[in-house]
Amino acid sequence: MGCRAASPAAGEAGAETEPTRSPDTSPTAPAITTTASRTPGDAEAAPDGPGSRAGTDDARRQRVALAQAALLSALVAGTPAPEGFDRVRLGVQARALAAKRADVVAKVAPELPEILADTYRPAFLAYAQRRPMTGGYRRDALDFAEHLLLTGLPEDADTRRLRDWWLERSGPAPLSGRPAARLARATRRVLLRR
Amino acid sequence: MREPGRLGTGIGWRPEIAEAVENMAGIDWVEAVAENVCPGHLPESLLRLRERGITVVPHGVSLGLGGADRPDEARLTALAERAEALGSPLVTEHIAFVRAGGPLTASPLLEAGHLLPVPRTRDALHVLCENVRAAQAALPVPLAVENIAALISWPGEEMTEGQFLYDLVDRTGVRLLIDVANLHTNHVNRGEDPAKALDELPVEAIAYVHVAGGFERDGVWHDSHAHPVARPVLDILADLASRVTPPGVLLERDENFPDRPNWSGS
Repeated sequence: MGCRAASPAAGEAGAETEPTRSPDTSPTAPAITTTASRTPGDAEAAPDGPGSRAGTDDARRQRVALAQAALLSALVAGTPAPEGFDRVRLGVQARALAAKRADVVAKVAPELPEILADTYRPAFLAYAQRRPMTGGYRRDALDFAEHLLLTGLPEDADTRRLRDWWLERSGPAPLSGRPAARLARATRRVLLRR
Repeated sequence: MREPGRLGTGIGWRPEIAEAVENMAGIDWVEAVAENVCPGHLPESLLRLRERGITVVPHGVSLGLGGADRPDEARLTALAERAEALGSPLVTEHIAFVRAGGPLTASPLLEAGHLLPVPRTRDALHVLCENVRAAQAALPVPLAVENIAALISWPGEEMTEGQFLYDLVDRTGVRLLIDVANLHTNHVNRGEDPAKALDELPVEAIAYVHVAGGFERDGVWHDSHAHPVARPVLDILADLASRVTPPGVLLERDENFPDRPNWSGS
């Protein structure tokens, strides 16, 4: 997360369906409390043991974590929708997330839509469906390019250019412009072509 | 002359529209996405605005205070650095989660790339309050958090938006950035009542208000930073203003700029 890292736009996804009410189910577990009354500052202390403050806090975090992971996984990794959510809405949200991801990657790596032209979007969306984002957008752009190089680009696409783009960015350090270094890179490219 | 602590009229700054922002009359302050600004080398445009005495507020989008993990120390430090570099009187973020999974769930960490709604349950509120307190401790200036628009609703919610915000402020003293367009989006898309939210939330905790344009199509509201602020959103703003005078109002506009902010129609 450096200064030049792109961040998701703060805007909200536009919806494309009629608003519907979600079914009235309550899958969340009741909160564990260890005191009878709630005081300002959220004091729920008891000495050590499963009801202790640390245990209670961690248990709550875990419950929230599991619920959010189940939802996000359904939205970006294609796992089943958690109980009680409106599936149509989840589908709309999932598509909006993928579209936004494609937009941001296109912005941080403009060479990709340039190299891939009209095929950029469908190729990216297909990749996104199978590979949820796990880091930043620059990493995502590289992973996408790598995925394409491994699975094969469309017939008329500029594979060589994509390969060069990926090679230049996938190493641990920025590339040297010195003649020896450039020769080494050219050699590597030739070898990888086989 | 503005009173200390009052922000006044602001507009969202982005590098692509920097020139338009600098040329706009009647602007007292700007908001900039925190992650897109490098404290070590601030954009020239922001430096010029600062030289003119215009306040800049960093607006974070990647902290995920509504998530289950404690806020990441590195992200908090980064946010604090930006506040210091810009001399900001406050910092803003969102009531949202942006990532999930990881060690707490023994599943892979997933990034949403988007602000997703926090379930309005006592559990999630407790975790949010803890995260907010951790953020407040790490930041050199006050924190305000923004209500987001959401397309999806969590089943089994225990509180309304207003109640949730009330409790959050009550327990942490955090300030609020109320986005009236988001209240309207949630009204159209989720059937929530903006007036009820304004009734219930602590309006005196509002640090500033976001206003953005949008349009309705086929019964669904689309947030848009290229359209004039619509009547219903202005009505919510008016409702809010009848309850409290917000210290600041920020127009979010990415295209089709007016020469000067005009609350009655642009």
